Amino acid sequence: MTGQHAAADRWLHAVPAAPPTADDRAPAPAPLPTLPGLLDAPVTFGSTSREAGAESRAHDLTSHLATYGSRPDASGRHAEDLVAALEEVALTGRGGGHFRVARKWRTALAAGGGGTVVANCAEGEPASAKDAALLQLRPHLVLDGMALAAEALGTREAIVWLHKGDHATRVAVVRALAERHAQGDLTVAVRVVEGPDHYLTGESSSVVRALSGGPALPYLTRQPSAVHGIGGRPTLLHNAETLARIALVARRGGGVPLEAPLLTVVGRGRRIVTPARVGETLGEVVARSGVVADPRGSVLLGGYGGTWLPWADVLRVEATEDAFRPLGASLGAGVVAPLAAHECGLAETSRVLDYLAASSARQCGPCLFGLPAMATLLQRVAAGRIGRGDLRTLERYAAEVSGRGACHHPDGAVQLTRSALRTFAADVRRHQHDGPCPGVDQPPLLPLPEVF
Amino acid sequence: MFGKSKHQEQEQLRVDPLACDGIGICAHLAAGIVTVDSWGYPILPTRPLARGDRRSAAAAVSACPRRALFIEPVRR
Repeated sequence: MTGQHAAADRWLHAVPAAPPTADDRAPAPAPLPTLPGLLDAPVTFGSTSREAGAESRAHDLTSHLATYGSRPDASGRHAEDLVAALEEVALTGRGGGHFRVARKWRTALAAGGGGTVVANCAEGEPASAKDAALLQLRPHLVLDGMALAAEALGTREAIVWLHKGDHATRVAVVRALAERHAQGDLTVAVRVVEGPDHYLTGESSSVVRALSGGPALPYLTRQPSAVHGIGGRPTLLHNAETLARIALVARRGGGVPLEAPLLTVVGRGRRIVTPARVGETLGEVVARSGVVADPRGSVLLGGYGGTWLPWADVLRVEATEDAFRPLGASLGAGVVAPLAAHECGLAETSRVLDYLAASSARQCGPCLFGLPAMATLLQRVAAGRIGRGDLRTLERYAAEVSGRGACHHPDGAVQLTRSALRTFAADVRRHQHDGPCPGVDQPPLLPLPEVF
Repeated sequence: MFGKSKHQEQEQLRVDPLACDGIGICAHLAAGIVTVDSWGYPILPTRPLARGDRRSAAAAVSACPRRALFIEPVRR
């Protein structure tokens, strides 16, 4: 309690808009006992729409400041305080590596600082909409996080990286930037840059490569981007949600635990971005989203490179990254897609694997050849035309492809495929003996964007 | 077993999969270290190079027509 308030105090006093008085302890603004979280209510999207439903209310700069208070200063000597707070709350990125944010910042600072801060807002997961929700409803939280990172790194250069088709998000970000500009906030010089509408555009090495003048495709990184990023300079690349959390941690200090992750619950014809509450189980989050999960069904967790599990195994698991690790799963990009028992998980997975194969950057042989080969075999499994040795060949291809790309795209495809064969093992046997189940004729649950 | 190499930096044979075209010379020159997958692309060991394998690994690195192979210290 006291630690939390002392930490909050330190930050409230570091607000640049209110220069400290001679006795900067005297009229201390009472620290807010609890700061609101990232989003206060679920946000609905269509199954492919990238625009939040009209019922959701966006924060302009005035309501942002009224809700969260002003942004503390992270420049100069304050940088270390913020890094220490980020370390204390153990904030990690939402990428597969769960990399500690504090460690990334220390690495960049040890490499000399300067360089660029990138808000990675190119949400590649077709089933996820959490970044779109955050950027459209709470753009100033993300921009605060970006400004804090830039101050800590000692740079003014910041980039918001978007997909070309993220119109509603771009409008929200540009409007928020204009508001900040009008208020005289010139902490960072922000550029909004768009990449192609592709699954891999938001992959971290793709972002660095594109912003260094190359194509928006992954490459083999031999040094972390915090050391050798855009133009060979230290680069802090963070997902929109991570930046928004940084903005909250900076205000609260390290004594307050992080809020639970933002999840996107996938239902028929809609996706509901739902902020989990601390201590809540996955079953409770899904129930609150309004999507009905079949107790006998299954769920795809994380994203299209994620994990299928029986719903009964996860519904009582707390919605945190740590709680899912022992199950061999990750909340990853936060996708939670419950599938009913009468729907066909093999058909869903086969369509997603086709999409992932088509989305390969086609740069690395094992991914270029391996994913289509796996996809062809899984099509046969879904269609109930499983030949002798097909399942063994599929597992061999999966083993050969795993870990062999410059990025983790093939690894995700392998994780998806293996978890489907495990979770839907009974369906595989049924497809093998009786042909495809009636579920294959159901319309797809998981959204499948066109790949160009 | 690794007592002798304790103070020596361990090295690993790696490939840049973007540069690799699966020509396969490495699998001949460094047979026993490099195998190929179903499509002819090299599969490299994930463990550090044994001292006796250093020479053939280096031969594969210098013979690669795509300059895709390299030897680097094991990352911790």
